[in-house]
Amino acid sequence: MTRKQRRLTLIGSAGAVLAVALGLILFALNDQIVFFQSPTDITQKSIPAGQRIRLGGLVEEGSVVRADNAQVSFRVTDTANAVAVTYKGILPDLFREGQGVVTEGIVNADGTFVADSVLAKHDENYMPKEVAEALKDQGHWQGGEGEAN
Amino acid sequence: MIFWILLALMTGVAALSVLVPLARAGQPASGSTGGADEAVYKEQLTAIDTELERGLIEPDAAEAARTEIARRLLAAHDKSEQRFRMRTSGLRMKTAQAFALAALPLVALATYFTLGSPDEPDQPLIARLIAPAEGQSVDVLIARVERHLAENPEDGQGWEVIAPVYLSRGQPEASARAYANAIRILGPRPDWLTDMGEALTMANQGLVTANARQAFERAASMEPTAVKPRFFLAIALGQEGNTQAAVQAWESLLEGADETAPWVAAAKQQLAGLQQGENALRGPSQQDIEATQEMSAEDRQEMIRGMVSGLAERLSQEGGSAAEWNRLMQAYVVLGERQKAEETLAAAQAAYAENPADLSLIKDTASALGLSGS
Amino acid sequence: MIVELGHYALVLAFALTLVQCFLPLWGALTGDDRLMAVAPPVSVTLFMLIMISFVALTIAYLTSDFSVLNVVQNSHSAKPFIYKFTGVWGNHEGSMLLWVLILVFFGALVGVFGGNLPKDLKAATLAVQAWVTGGFILFLLATSNPFARVANPPLEGADLNPILQDIGLAIHPPLLYVGYVGFSITFSFAVAALILGRTDAAWARWVRPWTLLAWCFLTLGIAMGSYWAYYELGWGGWWFWDPVENASFMPWLAGTALLHSAIVMEKREALKIWTVLLAIFTFSLSLLGTFLVRSGVLTSVHAFATDPARGVFILGLLVFFIGGSLALYAWRAPMLKQGGLFAPISREGGLVLNNLFLTAACAAVFVGTLYPLALDAVTGEKISVGAPFFNLTFGPLMIPLLLAVPFGPILAWKRGDLLAASQRLYVAFGLALVFTLFTFWLWGMEKVLAPLGVGLAVWVMAGAVSEIVTRVKFFEIGPKRGFARLVGLPGSAWGTVVAHFGVGVTVLGIVTASAFQEERIETMRPGDTVEVSGYQVTFDGAAPRRGPNYVEEVGHFTIRQGGVLVTELDPSKRVYTARQMPTTEAGIHTIGFSQIYLSMGESRGDGAIDVRVYFKPLITLIWIGCVIMSLGAVFSMADRRLRIGAPKPASRRKTAQPAAAE
Repeated sequence: MTRKQRRLTLIGSAGAVLAVALGLILFALNDQIVFFQSPTDITQKSIPAGQRIRLGGLVEEGSVVRADNAQVSFRVTDTANAVAVTYKGILPDLFREGQGVVTEGIVNADGTFVADSVLAKHDENYMPKEVAEALKDQGHWQGGEGEAN
Repeated sequence: MIFWILLALMTGVAALSVLVPLARAGQPASGSTGGADEAVYKEQLTAIDTELERGLIEPDAAEAARTEIARRLLAAHDKSEQRFRMRTSGLRMKTAQAFALAALPLVALATYFTLGSPDEPDQPLIARLIAPAEGQSVDVLIARVERHLAENPEDGQGWEVIAPVYLSRGQPEASARAYANAIRILGPRPDWLTDMGEALTMANQGLVTANARQAFERAASMEPTAVKPRFFLAIALGQEGNTQAAVQAWESLLEGADETAPWVAAAKQQLAGLQQGENALRGPSQQDIEATQEMSAEDRQEMIRGMVSGLAERLSQEGGSAAEWNRLMQAYVVLGERQKAEETLAAAQAAYAENPADLSLIKDTASALGLSGS
Repeated sequence: MIVELGHYALVLAFALTLVQCFLPLWGALTGDDRLMAVAPPVSVTLFMLIMISFVALTIAYLTSDFSVLNVVQNSHSAKPFIYKFTGVWGNHEGSMLLWVLILVFFGALVGVFGGNLPKDLKAATLAVQAWVTGGFILFLLATSNPFARVANPPLEGADLNPILQDIGLAIHPPLLYVGYVGFSITFSFAVAALILGRTDAAWARWVRPWTLLAWCFLTLGIAMGSYWAYYELGWGGWWFWDPVENASFMPWLAGTALLHSAIVMEKREALKIWTVLLAIFTFSLSLLGTFLVRSGVLTSVHAFATDPARGVFILGLLVFFIGGSLALYAWRAPMLKQGGLFAPISREGGLVLNNLFLTAACAAVFVGTLYPLALDAVTGEKISVGAPFFNLTFGPLMIPLLLAVPFGPILAWKRGDLLAASQRLYVAFGLALVFTLFTFWLWGMEKVLAPLGVGLAVWVMAGAVSEIVTRVKFFEIGPKRGFARLVGLPGSAWGTVVAHFGVGVTVLGIVTASAFQEERIETMRPGDTVEVSGYQVTFDGAAPRRGPNYVEEVGHFTIRQGGVLVTELDPSKRVYTARQMPTTEAGIHTIGFSQIYLSMGESRGDGAIDVRVYFKPLITLIWIGCVIMSLGAVFSMADRRLRIGAPKPASRRKTAQPAAAE
């Protein structure tokens, strides 16, 4: 093999690996990212059933209902609209009515949001950033900037 | 002072760590610059020999590697010949020395004086809590008692001392809790029960709750002549809407009362209100509560006594300054406890028998207070 | 006084870094011996000064000195002693002081133990390290001074975040920092080499121990952090692809690549340009991680206090150091001479392949971490990039890399023989096949990928072992001489074997714990039993309990296997009273390498609680593998050849030589 051929092999294999990596990244970005939606987005836009989304807002006061088998249902609201959510599992430590929450899952055919993960952040003062901004858009957010401790 | 010495010391060490190597490294050192490179390549050559010996690489590969490393070794040697020529310059040295001597302390001190607070002492919590009481804020004193109570929750006296302090600082819940503890540990006393009831009432914006009422009732049963619990019980009756009983209660309370007592006006006002059938649910106003507090000047004294006995105990066990002894004598005189003031004087004289200056200070105070010293 | 002394020490250290930034570099460039000689003692003084500063802050914490703002905000007099101590770095200011402490620590290490380095390289490296140190001390003094005082000290401080009140916090950040910040020294070496034009095989040899040291700590730190999240957060997960985790993982990937490419540079003087670039990248990724975590761009448990001024300052530092070093690189790199040649199938080729996949994986993580931020900044659209993205990109990139791992060390330098190498791996391949089939037989065809994953892990482990066994021709020369040869192998060879074996162990843990884990989520009443992976978990009831600064609801569970008692577990749900903050304490029982993991949800009031029960087969192997990997780094560091050039070890080597030869 000549020096030139060796170099070409090297560059070729580097290019191939990078191309594969790039392809994977683009494919995954197309397919695997999850958009953040507020309850208003969900009621207004028609989101195809089965598409994964992140839903964020406040847990509506008095909406949490626990059933057996660790089944929980509650409503997530941005004060303008609310979406019913069902979840099976243990709610995070900081999940409380009237507090911010981010859930991830899919919208059912009947408009219920079936969550497979529920996040309430570690700090009690912390309002998930997306939620705070979504609420601000709705004009219902009175908290100061940078309230995240 | 020691702070500034340490500051200077640190600065000195920092400057020296620059100056000493500058002064010392004049002569060419033994481990020359090029030597380090060459050592690496020489080692690589021996490593190849070892590997070949053990059959870890093929002979022809070893030969090729040897040539390659030898080439590097030569190149490194050439380079080090070229590089290794000592060059020193007086200007450079002077600049470097000026840097270390002048710029270093200047920058450090200038920055420190802008950012630091050299006069601020350390304030470890323990030290603040055991420091002498004088000059300490009330917060510190309270914190001390709280710490003490956290460690000795069964010290009824402590709860007794802190309870009125909480009340006067607008923490009625804490006060009520403290009274409850004192009562639990030392047994019920009518004045404590009364004050606990008052604290509970204040905690509920003037509403005499069931708990408060219970406390007042116990107090009244233990000391039927006491005015304060009956005053609050009358208010409670009014708040319950039991107007008739309330009117009766007020009337019996006002019967034979000293007209000049501060609470009388408040009581009359309540009574008048009830008789007009209005305001039956109104709780005692701030004024009313203040009036009842005036009524019980003894309670205040109790609180002061608590603080004083703390000082006395410390002085008797650990001693203290002449000024502290003087303050204790004064406090006893103010509280009307001449006997204790005399005892304090005797103790102080014993403590300062060897120290004429302080002794005379104490004697001066004693004679000013009219203590005999016998 | 102590606090103010600490403050002054920090300020003085800053002034001293200014000296260190210029004098040694000037000396190195002009060949002035005396100026160069300044660097090592000053590096030690710097370390002492920052140490004084750090100790002063620690004393303020231990004595609850509430005249220091930082202590007021992050401590509490009733906190247990150990958490007062760990609280020093459990907050923004303190952790940045720790950052600086580690920066100067590495500087001092090079100053003291860099006896084998040429003077100019040593001086320039220490000068560059001082640039970085100075930048970060300035950051501390300007935006986050840990020694700011309070005029009227309060009597009590705000509590430390209870989730951080854990022994994991005591060990995990310092370890992570030692790794993360440790790569600053390779960065300094790289920049110094560019300035001096000294990028050669010897340079790679000199940098290697420092890279190994940093890499070793980073590996342990990441493993520790992962285990901490696993048992403290109560979610049963051990890696979340959380941006903060990624921030430490990216330097690890780049650092691993650097470790490998530096070998090529050392042996063959090839890949010079690339290696230097990697050294710059690795530390740049550390800086980027710090920026992401500290600026508040990301909000997470690790982002203590956030403040825009700090973000801007760190961004400035980032631009200065990364931009500066890359500009220097662009100017100097074209002047570097071509190194040795090699065929695509060769040890060098294998290492290039390793670098390609590692950097591609690192790029994938980079994109996944930063893309949401960029998209939000540009379009305002909010997305989340979670585990599925990373599994889809990172996973496929790792598989060919892992397949290639056993080949690498077997191939010869320059021109390798793939066929001969494969012959030496027959046994490993056979073992991998046996384990794959065995797993298929055990689990059936429902999970196709998992048995292949097990096979891959076994392949890597067996490959590592067979490399060393065939290398010394263990079976050809008989066990007795074989053992002698094994013992005589250089430390770096052992390092490779051990570290690669560790990779296999970790992969095995990951595969089994993710594919064969069993999970049950149930609402349980006292007396209820759930069965998971053959274990019967019975809920006996829950009772409240009081701790020193929390109250908790403790559940009692009995675990049996076929009626035989295995253990009893008491997971709990805690509320820390000072902040009214709830946390979950998982109950974990280790059986062999596997674990049963219990976590409780909120009590339903009627005695019923939601319970999550996991059986996680071989999960501890994930962390054990990481420990083995860092052990590999330790072996490699112990290689006596790394100390070549230092006068003393060289003479000791001579006496050691005959013994090692046979």
